[in-house]
Amino acid sequence: MSLIEIKGITKTYNPKKIPVRALRGIDLLIEEGEFTAIVGPSGSGKTTLLNIIGGLDRQTEGEIIVDSVNITDLSDNKMIDFRKSKIGFVFQSYNLIPVFTAAENIGFIMLLQKKSKNEISTRVAELLKSVGIEAQKNKRPNEMSGGQQQRVAVARALASKPKFVLADEPTANLDSKSTTNLLDIMENLNKNEGITFVFSTHDQRVIDRAHRVVTIEDGRVISDVKVEKVKS
Amino acid sequence: MLIKIAWRNIWRSITRSLVVIGAIVIGIWSIIFLVGMVNGMIESYIDNAIKNEVSHIKIHHTEFIKDKESKYYISDIASVKSAVDTISGVKAVSYKTIINTMIGSSHSSRGVSTVGVVPKDEANVSGVSDRIVEGDYLSDTKKNQILISKRLAEKLKVKLRSKVVLTFQDLENEITMGAFRVVGLFDTGNYMYDESVVFVRQEDINKLLGMNGYGHEVAILLDDLSDMDRVQQSIAKLFPTLLVRNYKEIQPELALFQSQIKMAGVIYMVIFMLALIFGIVNTMMMAVLERVRELGMLMSVGMNKVKVFLMIVVETLLLAIVAAPIGLLLGYLTTSYFHKTGINLFFYSDEGMKQFGMDKFIYPNVYTDTYLQLVIAVSLTALLGSLYPAWKAVSLRPVEAIRGSFATEKTRIFKRIINYIKTKLLKKQIE
Repeated sequence: MSLIEIKGITKTYNPKKIPVRALRGIDLLIEEGEFTAIVGPSGSGKTTLLNIIGGLDRQTEGEIIVDSVNITDLSDNKMIDFRKSKIGFVFQSYNLIPVFTAAENIGFIMLLQKKSKNEISTRVAELLKSVGIEAQKNKRPNEMSGGQQQRVAVARALASKPKFVLADEPTANLDSKSTTNLLDIMENLNKNEGITFVFSTHDQRVIDRAHRVVTIEDGRVISDVKVEKVKS
Repeated sequence: MLIKIAWRNIWRSITRSLVVIGAIVIGIWSIIFLVGMVNGMIESYIDNAIKNEVSHIKIHHTEFIKDKESKYYISDIASVKSAVDTISGVKAVSYKTIINTMIGSSHSSRGVSTVGVVPKDEANVSGVSDRIVEGDYLSDTKKNQILISKRLAEKLKVKLRSKVVLTFQDLENEITMGAFRVVGLFDTGNYMYDESVVFVRQEDINKLLGMNGYGHEVAILLDDLSDMDRVQQSIAKLFPTLLVRNYKEIQPELALFQSQIKMAGVIYMVIFMLALIFGIVNTMMMAVLERVRELGMLMSVGMNKVKVFLMIVVETLLLAIVAAPIGLLLGYLTTSYFHKTGINLFFYSDEGMKQFGMDKFIYPNVYTDTYLQLVIAVSLTALLGSLYPAWKAVSLRPVEAIRGSFATEKTRIFKRIINYIKTKLLKKQIE
């Protein structure tokens, strides 16, 4: 069974007055361990799709099964719990808690999950090492570069050992060096730890590193290719 | 975790937090000082009334209060005093003869209430002996001395050692008069009282009245006001045919004044709370609005709405927790200082204060329950003030908020339409 099953998803904003159809019937299967990029021009519906997969937004029609759970009809509270345990998020603008240090930002979700202090500190140390920001662990976001902040965001997304990570334009605010570093980290995590990553992006550097590229236009999937095909 | 994040959040904008903390501190301080002043005024008024006029408890003939005639006397009043003296909690007892008289000097005459006292006993009960501004208090031995107020002396145009004549009806309703020499002038600060009362020795007035051993009033001062009901009941049991009343019954306006002033204190507190609520709502709304993106992220990664709500509430309560002890301490120190030194209101309204029966020196006094009430009031205010911003925070849609948008559904749809049109136009241009 696939990790994420998307069946006939549509999303229409303002259906009663001036309907705007953001997604027009998406069918997609994402397997465990994939490193998938969802690409497309602005307004194509890629962020909407990512938000629906992440349970941040609701589809108009269709259903989504994530890790064998049909999240279509989950209540708001159950959806929050589901997100907390199954999904890691990386946002375009990092969205770290400014009053927390890097280590505290990473451990924050585990606190929400009521994990023990020992468990949190062990996991935080592990993640700081894997994203290469051990030296910055006591720094607050405003004391770090954009690239370092996004690495903290990736570590935070992984803290709760989610089933997959959704990254919405993760490199949009980064320079090329930081982008390369971040992609190296995520690719290693995918290769070595089998973490599933789903990106929405139009950054060619990310597309070049993706193992699967799903292209969306006008709310429809117009192509779905494995990385070998892209490279060829 | 919530407390940690809330605590750090309040120091994100130090100036803004300090403004709210300052407002709470000043508010608490001013309420404490105001309540202290009000209590000081009430105490001054009641103390003066008790010392000069009503005492804590008084005993009369049952008819005397309706019609203050000489014939409504208590016979063998000295034995009543002796019996009352034995009751525990009684500090001092005095008995007196009270008659309506006309006091006359060579210049003018006025109607006054003449109080015949046993000087030594009266000095223990009333404050008149401490309010002598010229001359001396009544002596136990010298005959026909009179103590009048400085204000009355000015009206009668008499001085120390001057002679005045008291004219009144004796027990047989015959007009009687006696000459008295002014030995002292007093000033209680209460003009109405000062102009209407004079003091003589009971022995002298009783002789003129022809009622040896009798008296009209027994005045009792207590060690502790909380014993008042018990002592009053004991006296009433001992003398069931006499009328035994406490100061609240004698002068109901004292209790009324006390409750009215306390009510004013409550009103000030409510006004303060209302003003503070608006300040808190404003500040916390700013705090929420500038953290829309962060709140969106918190909700996206799994912080439920209850926790987000509580985080905002705890932030507000922490502001109050920081501010309240400072305000309470400042209030305590200020009122404690002025409780010792007193606040001289002479330059502000000496005449007015006196007319209302208060001293020109007010000693602010704040009871423990006021501090407790303020702690509850401020906590409640902070809690109420946090509800709207907290509600606004949990009303955010995570999907919008993570992009930093506080936009409503309508603006979101409008943006989508624009985006859709832009994409279509771009596509056509490329083709």
